[in-house]
Amino acid sequence: MEKGLTTDYNEKPLMKPQALKQLTQIANDPYSCLADLRKKKRVIGSTLADVPEEVIHAAGLHPFLILGTNEPIRRSAALLPDNACSLARSNLELVLGDQATFFDGFVLSQVCDTTQHLSDIWRRKLPDHYFENFLAPRQVARPSARAWYAGECRRLRTALARYTGQEITDEALWQSFRLYNENRSLLRRLYAIKQEAPGLMTNREFFDMVKACFFMAKEEHNQLLREVVDWAEQDKARFADRQGYFKVVMAGIVVEPPAIYDMIDQVKGNIVADNLCVASRSIYHDVEIGPDPAEALADRHLRKPLFSPINADSERIAADLVELYRQAKAEAVFYCHIKYCESQAYDLPDIKTRMREQGIPFLELETEYQTTRSAQMRTRLEAFRESVISKGGRR
Amino acid sequence: MGKQPGKQKKKPSAQELSRQLTEAYLNDARTARERGRYVAYATAISPVELLKAHDVIPIYPENHAAACLTKRMGTELSLAMERKGYTSHLCAYARADLGYRITGKSAKGGIPDPAFLLACNAQCFTLTKWFEVLSRRYRTPLFVFDTPQWIRDPEARKEIVKYCVSQLRELVAALEQLTGKRFDYDRLAEVMKYSRDASLLYRRFLDMAAYKPSPITIFDALIQMAIIVYLRGTPQCVDYYQTLCAEVQAKADQGIGAVENEQFRLYWENLPIWFKFRDHFNLLASYGATILTSLYVHAWCFEFDTSKDPLETLAENYCSVFSNRILEERAAMALDLFQRFSLDGSLMFVNRSCKAVSFAVYQLKEIIAAKTGTPALIFESDMGDQRFYSETQIRTRIEAFLETLQRRKAERG
Repeated sequence: MEKGLTTDYNEKPLMKPQALKQLTQIANDPYSCLADLRKKKRVIGSTLADVPEEVIHAAGLHPFLILGTNEPIRRSAALLPDNACSLARSNLELVLGDQATFFDGFVLSQVCDTTQHLSDIWRRKLPDHYFENFLAPRQVARPSARAWYAGECRRLRTALARYTGQEITDEALWQSFRLYNENRSLLRRLYAIKQEAPGLMTNREFFDMVKACFFMAKEEHNQLLREVVDWAEQDKARFADRQGYFKVVMAGIVVEPPAIYDMIDQVKGNIVADNLCVASRSIYHDVEIGPDPAEALADRHLRKPLFSPINADSERIAADLVELYRQAKAEAVFYCHIKYCESQAYDLPDIKTRMREQGIPFLELETEYQTTRSAQMRTRLEAFRESVISKGGRR
Repeated sequence: MGKQPGKQKKKPSAQELSRQLTEAYLNDARTARERGRYVAYATAISPVELLKAHDVIPIYPENHAAACLTKRMGTELSLAMERKGYTSHLCAYARADLGYRITGKSAKGGIPDPAFLLACNAQCFTLTKWFEVLSRRYRTPLFVFDTPQWIRDPEARKEIVKYCVSQLRELVAALEQLTGKRFDYDRLAEVMKYSRDASLLYRRFLDMAAYKPSPITIFDALIQMAIIVYLRGTPQCVDYYQTLCAEVQAKADQGIGAVENEQFRLYWENLPIWFKFRDHFNLLASYGATILTSLYVHAWCFEFDTSKDPLETLAENYCSVFSNRILEERAAMALDLFQRFSLDGSLMFVNRSCKAVSFAVYQLKEIIAAKTGTPALIFESDMGDQRFYSETQIRTRIEAFLETLQRRKAERG
């Protein structure tokens, strides 16, 4: 295994594997790194959240999660008002720009008013691309939600088969489920090591490696992950010293720009749990192999924790966070709030109240994909560490 | 003393009827608890026929909020909410409502607290999040009636209806649990007939804007729609729209227009700017212009098929409301209004309070302009918060737009 030389915070030499470097590169520049993808398979872009990528994979297509850009917005500003969240605007920016040629088609999900419109605009602006909606239920409290999700999986299966001209067999789906389950299992293993040995890899490195799984071929991602996990298993004992680190639960949908992870690294926050769509909601809970693939996917969907746009038990959004904090024995909750995300804006005041009542140190980080001035956030994180963590978690 | 011929009590006007019905309805809701009845909050486009059939009184926080916004209370109520940590980016209805919860200030003497919440996301998604906040505040159950987008695929539509019917059955069970009373489907059939008849009459009223000159403007429609929102499913609602249609028909028959010397007939995109009703009417009228219609006011023109299973026709109607349709179908619905009402142009309002409607505006403008060749003005503001209304700028732009219409008309002779 080829290794690159980097340095940990204690200035001890730490050899990080080339696989880790490769994964973080892909996470930060997927379109350049994966330019050859289309030579092998047709690429289907999807958006957050809850599109069952396994079905796209089983159809012989490459599923690629479109996760916005931190580059300035130029094209989409004329199509969406500026009170659309920056994830929506930057996703549209990506596909209206040079990246449109990267994709053969799209399966877009609708989770809120913005994503519903985004999908309409998208379809209209890219008429030469394959297009399908995935309409996940926006309630998960009742039996009807499960039946609907399974039905949508079946509809997607039929639609993709029509697109490719090839039937998607149950066996192909089971194979995809196994491949994706292995991927999730490797990421969970890596997360567990990171939690035990915070000096081994930074938050940024870990979450970059997770992010890469949304872009790459799963087979290749698994192979690189195995190398990283092997390395981490061997070296973790040397970096199990957690002194100086404080444990953080990261809450939200996405954490963007990724420099936020760097800032958390700089104040020695160790993210030990999260409820992010681009992390735990994707990597926890496997698809259990059973007689009906669609039912198996629906089972997994309903086992996932709630996230902000889902309406079910209105108390759960805060209660789950408190539970996550307690289980992880964390010392703080950081909440990444994408500006203009309405779901989050409705949830936040009650979440803050709940955290205050429970005595949980809480920091809201309001951000946009295009945020460039990070000094203020850095100062807030440093002040938080000094005033809250250093004083035993009390404000 | 016996009645004398020719001295029968005169039937009240639609305006008087509206006042009486509103008063009785609110009084009914305010005294519900002491009479052992339940009050549920419902979103304006939700299957309230089930609540009505189960003798649960629906209250609409949106209507109450609209009344507060019309009375120019939007900024004050929003500020109260912002002081509690909410942002001014949210829907002005939600901001006014949450501000009312904090301050107790209301344009209508307030509304009773809920025992149950019903939110349907066909209208928008933000309502469900707002109702979640209310659910936490009052510790009352929230039922989200989830209506997936009414996409074009006919097979998908069948599945959507099935999903929604199964949810309506779940709603029936939730109502039975709330009240401890068995749901009466015969009563639902009766309510459905009243809803159907009232919806058809409401549509007839709106369609009278096709007359030249039009006897009504959108401002009339926005005022008169209140009854279809909160009293559909009752015989009083049917009676009200019969009275209203007769009055408006009489005006049309006499050729009485809502504005003097009607010159320009316009389409409005979006919800209204509630606190600017009169100003906008006067400004437009001074140019002989009038706004006749919008997709928004047509949202309550349901077409219930009472020969079907009531849950099925409810599911079909609530899923296919304009705000839950794909862009091209929304545009087709607007174009139908252009054709039927002989419209000359559009005022297209990008409402920062309403992403569900506003995020389609730029695309709608493109489609409508291409198909009709009529001019459109797009402007940004907020439906209820005066802080986001730039008086001079918007007035100047509307005036310039109206002058464009004048010039076009002169050029065309």
